[in-house]
Amino acid sequence: MSHIHIPDGVLPVWLWGAGWLVALVALMIASRISERESVRRKVPLLGVISALVLVAMSTEIVPIAYHVNLTVIAGAILGPWMSIISAFVVQVILALLGHGGVTVIGLNTIQTATEMILGWLLFRAFVRVLGRPRVRWAAAITTVLTLAVTTTMLVGLVALAGAGPAAMRETGALNPATLRFGNPLDGGVVNVGLFGGGEHAAEEESHADESPLSVTRFAAVVYTLGPIGWLLEALVTAGVLGYVARVRPSLVFEGGLAEAEPPHFGDEHGRH
Amino acid sequence: MTDTAHVHVHEHEHPDDPCCEEVVRISCVRHTYEDGTSVHLCGMDFLVHAGKRVAVLGPNGAGKTTLLYHILGLLRPQEGEVRVFGIEPAEDWKDIRRRIGVVLQNVDEQIVAPTVFDDVAFSPQQYGLPDAEIQERTYAALDLLGIRELAGRVPHSLSGGEKRKVALAGALVMEPELLVLDEPFEGLDPASRSNLIELLGRLSAEKGMTVVLSTHDIDTVPDFADFAYVLAPGGTIVFRGTPAEVFSNADVIAQGNIKPPILAELFAMLRQRDESAPAPALSVRAAVEALEEWKRAD
Amino acid sequence: MDVTFVDSAAILGSSRLHAASAGAKVAAFTLVLATVVVTNDVLVLLSALVLLLALAAGMGMPLRRMVPLALYPAVFAAVFAFASAPSALSAILIVGKAVTAALAGVVLMFSTPYPQVFGIVQRFVPGIVGDALLMTYRSLFLLAEKLASLSTAIKLRSGLSGRQPIRAFRATTRALGGLLLYALDLSQREYDVLRLRGYERRLRVRALPSADVAMDRALLVGAAGLLGITITVRAVPEAVGIYSWMLAALSLLTLAVTATVRRRKS
Repeated sequence: MSHIHIPDGVLPVWLWGAGWLVALVALMIASRISERESVRRKVPLLGVISALVLVAMSTEIVPIAYHVNLTVIAGAILGPWMSIISAFVVQVILALLGHGGVTVIGLNTIQTATEMILGWLLFRAFVRVLGRPRVRWAAAITTVLTLAVTTTMLVGLVALAGAGPAAMRETGALNPATLRFGNPLDGGVVNVGLFGGGEHAAEEESHADESPLSVTRFAAVVYTLGPIGWLLEALVTAGVLGYVARVRPSLVFEGGLAEAEPPHFGDEHGRH
Repeated sequence: MTDTAHVHVHEHEHPDDPCCEEVVRISCVRHTYEDGTSVHLCGMDFLVHAGKRVAVLGPNGAGKTTLLYHILGLLRPQEGEVRVFGIEPAEDWKDIRRRIGVVLQNVDEQIVAPTVFDDVAFSPQQYGLPDAEIQERTYAALDLLGIRELAGRVPHSLSGGEKRKVALAGALVMEPELLVLDEPFEGLDPASRSNLIELLGRLSAEKGMTVVLSTHDIDTVPDFADFAYVLAPGGTIVFRGTPAEVFSNADVIAQGNIKPPILAELFAMLRQRDESAPAPALSVRAAVEALEEWKRAD
Repeated sequence: MDVTFVDSAAILGSSRLHAASAGAKVAAFTLVLATVVVTNDVLVLLSALVLLLALAAGMGMPLRRMVPLALYPAVFAAVFAFASAPSALSAILIVGKAVTAALAGVVLMFSTPYPQVFGIVQRFVPGIVGDALLMTYRSLFLLAEKLASLSTAIKLRSGLSGRQPIRAFRATTRALGGLLLYALDLSQREYDVLRLRGYERRLRVRALPSADVAMDRALLVGAAGLLGITITVRAVPEAVGIYSWMLAALSLLTLAVTATVRRRKS
């Protein structure tokens, strides 16, 4: 899987709250910058590319629930600032349709935006280095690297979530390894539901060093399943960008706004 | 030219009669697309005067949509000149956009807002009109098309015909002086087609609205148009005249690759067999009168 | 992503939930979400889930389409849970949270036309973002339709049978490439339309008044009440938490009654 959706209510409040904050600030900045140029041309482009990403996410490439994201392609076309807006829009719609968490929209936006922006950066770099005829290779390498980075970000996120026991108690976070929740409303440690006695604070310290274990296990799962998804995404991205580069090179190499005039109209071309 | 004694069509001024203000003028505009296809709207000037209803005819690929897009300022002429209300639309669209209403071929793409009401209200909202006026205009436009009950609906759930009405309401909400329509009859059932023709006629007669439309639907032209322009493949404007003049001219029909209305074909064939047959009549009533008169003359 | 179905359900539905105002529903949704986030009691979570089901069932909503959508994040949540939770109970909690939150979102979207929901979101984000949200959703319909027809055309032309993964893969890639081109041209045409129609400010959504104020109140009170109970259970588990089974039992009873009444009606 190239994307893991973090469910609601698992990450500590401070983490997903910070995610929201960072995402909204980035969104504000990106909007200001985007609005400086001719805004009106961009809104439809933003709309269709975000929609394309969403459609791709629901298209199963291999019927085991591997889907592609086309985030690298989206990034290459939109450029960095609009990618941030697009990432947010995609996550909001996904969350409302039940695909991802709502509280983690901020964090997911950051992850998606990173994929898009990194994709944009690396794709351009590799095309310059490898040359336009090797656009497929550029696309494939970009995709694998980008997804590797964002997957690592995700693991980092989980590691952050499992940070120290004292912090966890204060913020009421779930310690995945020990099944303990810090309770900000009283000094002790609380267990889940009615299945459990009341364990004492002393035990909690001895479990503290179990945190790295859970991150390791998570990382193991993600790095095992991940590369298959990365490879698939790389193949699809290379295929799509290669095809489009043959038909409309300016779109691929200069971005979606580069075309001064649309290629065809009305009945001279007929509808697509 | 036609035998006026036998032509039973509405009397119209000829396009060259300068009765009214010139609304649109296209003078030998050339446009080449990125892939090399070229459209040359030359041969004669494309002229539309205020209050007239003009049809643009021609086969696929002739350049009808290119012509309309030049009027709307979506394409900039690479050669030649386009003037709408005396202004170059590609340069100064903002100065004239409130006076022009548009309905494009693909209505799905034209409807931009999430609900029918919001879509029809779109232009007035964007122009910053006060809320009360927006409401008034929007409901008036909805009523004109008879679709008030669709106001709260989400557009994509509507039928093709309903969407067309919504798009038209959106185009009429600002009471434009010029209405531009690209293939407006496509996808309409015969009843809706008649209603639309009747509406356009009313708008032209009562409000003096100028209407320019492109169509394949030849049978609508006699009922709708005051004048028709015929484009040949490549964009050359080969003819302009009243519908009767167009459909009785075999060369024009061939050049424009037009299949004439059934009645015109009928009369053409009659004429081939018998030279005394009447000139083409373009409405059933006129045809009946012409045939009865021919029978009496016999 | 069958947005067309979701949309039709939201527009054509005539239940009291559909009649309630978008603002009330979004607020209730937020409260339910807070419940999901705050709770650490599996039974309280179960209650929230069951009450949502009861609400949907009572309103005659298409559960058969809604539940699979809500179950989708369970896959990912299970991965997360497997990787980080050592006991079955915490795994259930993690997966349960994902599903309950998803169900709340699905109930919202199936009972409220998307423009109304996005209209509320628009008030909290910059203008261009709000416009992008509306345009994206609209484009979804056009693109999904286009992809379907492209895929069909390609499959027909290359005579695929589903047992040839490489060819299927190539065909899908080609379809996506074609879709990308179509999408780009579509955006240009959309821009032309916007320009023609005078686009200068924002794509505004007119807020519709509530058609069932009593329902608005019921939703808000219910959601707030659930959150209140959740916080209480969490704060004093020894005193109150041991009674969370009662909440679960009550919610199951509600579901049973609602389902029966609904069946009798139809």
